Parts: sequence; C-alpha cells; structure tokens
Amino acid sequence: MEFIQQGFYQAYTLLKSGDPETYSAILATLRVSSLAMLVSLLLGIPFGYLLGYFNFRLKKQIRIIVDTLLSLPTVFIGLLVYALVARHGPLGEMGLLFTLTGIAIGQAILALPIVTALTAAAVEAADRNLRFTLLSLGANRRQLFFSTLWEVRHGILAAAVIATGRVLTEVGISLMVGGNIKWHTRTITTAITLETNKGEFGMGIALGVVLLLIALAVNISVAGLRRRI
Amino acid sequence: MDIYQIHNLDHFYGDKQVLSIDEISIPSATIVGIIGPNGSGKSTLMKLLSFMEAPTYGTILFMGKKADPFSNDVRFKVALLPQEPYLMHRTVFENVAYGLKIRKKTGRLFSRVKQALGQVGLESADFAKRKWYELSGGEAQRVALAARLILRPRVLLLDEPTSRVDAESAGLIRKASLEARQKWGTTLVVATHDWQWLYETCDRVLHLIHGRVLKSGLGCAVAGPWKIGGEEYLFKELEDGQELIVSKPTDDKQRVILDPGQMKITLPGKDSLLNWNLKTLNGVVTRLFLEMNGETVQVAIKVAELVLTIRLKRQQVTKLGMQPGSAVSISYDPQEIEWQ
Repeated sequence: MEFIQQGFYQAYTLLKSGDPETYSAILATLRVSSLAMLVSLLLGIPFGYLLGYFNFRLKKQIRIIVDTLLSLPTVFIGLLVYALVARHGPLGEMGLLFTLTGIAIGQAILALPIVTALTAAAVEAADRNLRFTLLSLGANRRQLFFSTLWEVRHGILAAAVIATGRVLTEVGISLMVGGNIKWHTRTITTAITLETNKGEFGMGIALGVVLLLIALAVNISVAGLRRRI
Repeated sequence: MDIYQIHNLDHFYGDKQVLSIDEISIPSATIVGIIGPNGSGKSTLMKLLSFMEAPTYGTILFMGKKADPFSNDVRFKVALLPQEPYLMHRTVFENVAYGLKIRKKTGRLFSRVKQALGQVGLESADFAKRKWYELSGGEAQRVALAARLILRPRVLLLDEPTSRVDAESAGLIRKASLEARQKWGTTLVVATHDWQWLYETCDRVLHLIHGRVLKSGLGCAVAGPWKIGGEEYLFKELEDGQELIVSKPTDDKQRVILDPGQMKITLPGKDSLLNWNLKTLNGVVTRLFLEMNGETVQVAIKVAELVLTIRLKRQQVTKLGMQPGSAVSISYDPQEIEWQ
C-alpha cells in the first residue's frame, strides 16, 4: 500500500517541478481530447437533437444502432482506425498513423455515439408541456426548435461531460493508433500502462492522479457554466 | 362579433372520439366557462381553440376566418395557460419576457415585465431575478399567467388555472384575468371546477360530458352493466336500489348521457300529474348557486351515486321550496336519453 501514498507524493512533485515528460503527456492528452470532443460535439449535438426532436421513419432503428455503438470497445475502434490510417489502408497517404490527429479521430468515433444518444435522450425526456407552453406564447416552428434546444442544454452538457470522461480515460485507441511514442504521442493513459509494465507503480499512480485532477477541473468548469446558463 | 365559431366539430385521438360539437359561438370580450368531469374533453377543446391542434373534422373560425396552427392570424392573438404550465429553465424575467422577445417587441421590456408581475401580485423588485426552481406552485402558476398577460392577447384560454394553487393565488389569478377583460377587452375561456369562477363571473357556461356540450346544466354519463327490463327497455340498478330506465340502444353503445335539459324537477309525489311515459328518480338537493344574471340558479341534485347539475329559474326554485337537503323527483322520458 505504500506505493499509493508514494504515488500521491510523486504526483505533487512531478507537477510542482514541471517535469517535462509528464507535462508532454498532459499536453498530448489535452490536445487529442479537445480535438476529439470538438468534432464529436459539432457532429453529435445536431445529429442527436434531430434524432430526438423529429419523428420519422426508421427513427427507432437508428436509435438502436446509436445505442449499440455506446458499447464500442476502444481496442476495436483502435483496430479500425489503425486499419484505415495504416500505410496500406484507404487513408494511408494522409500519414495519420502514430499522430495525435489519428488518436483524435479514434476518440471522436468513441465520443460521437455518447453525445448523440444522450442528446437525443435529453430531447425526448423534455417535459411534454414545454411544446404547449412555447406554442401558447406564440412561438413559430423555428423558435420552437431553438427554444427547445436551449431548454435541454443541461442534458446536452451532461452528455458532453460523460463523453469527455470516456475520451480522457481511454487507452486502447491511444495505444494502437498513437503507438505511445515518447514526447510525441504518449498520453497520460498510455504512460500509465507503460509505467505499470515497468513495475513503476508509484509513477503510474502519480499520472492517474494527474488525470483525475484534469477531470476535476473539467467538471468544476462545467458546473460553473451550468449555474450561469 | 363572434370571436370563435365552431361548426360540426369532431375530434379523434386514434380511433377514439374525444369531442363532438355541432355549433358554438363565443362572442368577443365575453367570459365563457367550461365545466365537465375529468376526461370530458375540456383540455382538448382548449388546445383546439388555441389552434395548437387542428380538429379532425369540422371548422373553427377565428374572427370569421378559418385559421390553422402556426398561422400569424392566431399565433399572436390567442394565449393558452395550460393545466400544468411549464416554466422555462430561466429566470422569472426571461419567462415573462419570452413572448415579447419572439415578437421582437422589446421596448420598455423591464417595466412591462414588472407591470405584468404586478398584475398577478408578484411585484417585489427581486422577484424577476428568481430562477424557475425557486418558486412555489402558486407563484409558478402566477408567473405563467403574467407571461400571457404581458402579451395582451385577444383571447386568453385558461385550463383549470386554480386547481393546483392555494386560495390566495386562486384569487389573484381570477382578479388578474378579469382585469384583462376589463382593460383590453380580452375574451376569456376558462375550464374550471371552481363554481365561483363559473357562476359569479362567466357570461356563459358550457357543460361538457364525454366530448359533448349539454343543453342546460351539467349532466353525467352512466355506464353499464345494463339489465334487460322488457322488449324496449334496459335498466341499471343504482346504489340505493332505484332503477334508471332507458330505451334500448340501436347499436352496441354502452353509455348513456343524462342531459339535465331533458329532465323535469318536481316535488316528490307530484310526478303523477305528468305524462305516464315519463320515468322518475328521487334525489336530494346538495347545492344551490345563484348565477351572475340573478335570474337562474344552478341546482346540484344527488341521485344515488349520480350527480346532476340543473339550471332552474329562481322563481321555480322558490316555488319548489328548494334548499340543500330537500328531496326532489326528476322525471325524464327514456326515449330521449341519448346513447354514446
């Protein structure tokens, strides 16, 4: 148990001393996660909202597919993206293998169903009286659409938080597509894997604590945002 | 001028018919009350009058013109306060100002919101800053009403506005709504169980039972089981042993509507003077309510498990010596009872 205590102390030391290797992994994690979340939110919120708001043929079937994609294993996404961006793959010429962009593509695929499914669920769970209220106050179709979007904003924020958590903590995609290259594609989670394999549990725990601190910062920011809007 | 004219309206949800109204006209700047038990179609009628839904069959004319959901002819003229109003997840100010903002009428917004909140008794300076979750049920209902009053609609539809609030809030809601009629000539249509609303303030009361408007007074629907009472009649045994005799239906309808307009009230034992075809039920007067016109009285009569509310002339009530607890006879012609 001593290494846990040691890990917390080491986390403090690494952050305080500005250890370049640790900060390189933190920066890589933040860059890929931000890019992945940006793409998944830009695509997932409109798609999820349309899916929840409108009734159309095949809606149920699409919902089932999106919900199934929530269970996508990260190693499977890693394998899929690897096959796509590998030199002989269809996107091989783009040179995305072992790059942060390659990892971000995989993580966006991971986050997209989460954002889509939870946004759609938030819209479907909106109070049925919301529609009547907006209509009774004179809203037209466009105002009804956008006012409803604003009313479910807290549900969409929750979807973004959950997806961010999943993206920050995944290891399969980062390892397979990124290759865990020091100073380049090594993220916090792949660094933890490496340190654990080396028997450096203290260092692994230190990096885990750093990851938790990042998650804490994200959640505090979102809580602040939720209070303001 | 009639603000609403309803012609041959039939409305269905799936296969189930929820409204069937032949003709109704609602004159401008009047107060019309709608009373009926749960499931009688009050809320559906309100939604149709607000043009949120279009009737399955028939027409509703608004100021003499046919109107459709989302049409500009009605969108800014009719406001509905639903039975369970939803407050948007914003501040009170944003909730009240929403209707004006979407109309792009944002001039003097702050003072107009303050005035609207003042109309419903919520004028305190900080109240507008409160969030939606910081309000009691009565306050939320009054904020929802303020959000409609600020629009100064031609028609204000109130669906059971006082059913979930305390007496003080109910009084304020009633006062603010009546003020709208007085100040701006707003037509009020109120679905309510509140007798004070109905008979003290309404110019006209519509009695709705299972989607139908009864002629006079509030009747009730009676479902089976029915027993065979002869070649032409069926009867239902009521809780006190009396028999409700009705003619056989021509098809497989299961329920009859007792319309007070088809019934006569007499003192017990006096019914022998009437047509021998008539059947009689004995009941007890439970409530008398003088209507706003001062000429007619709503009389609630309990017959076993059934309650009928019948409108009688004041002189007739006096002549029969009616008071709560009085025994009365109700005579009706079984052939006139309608199956549904």
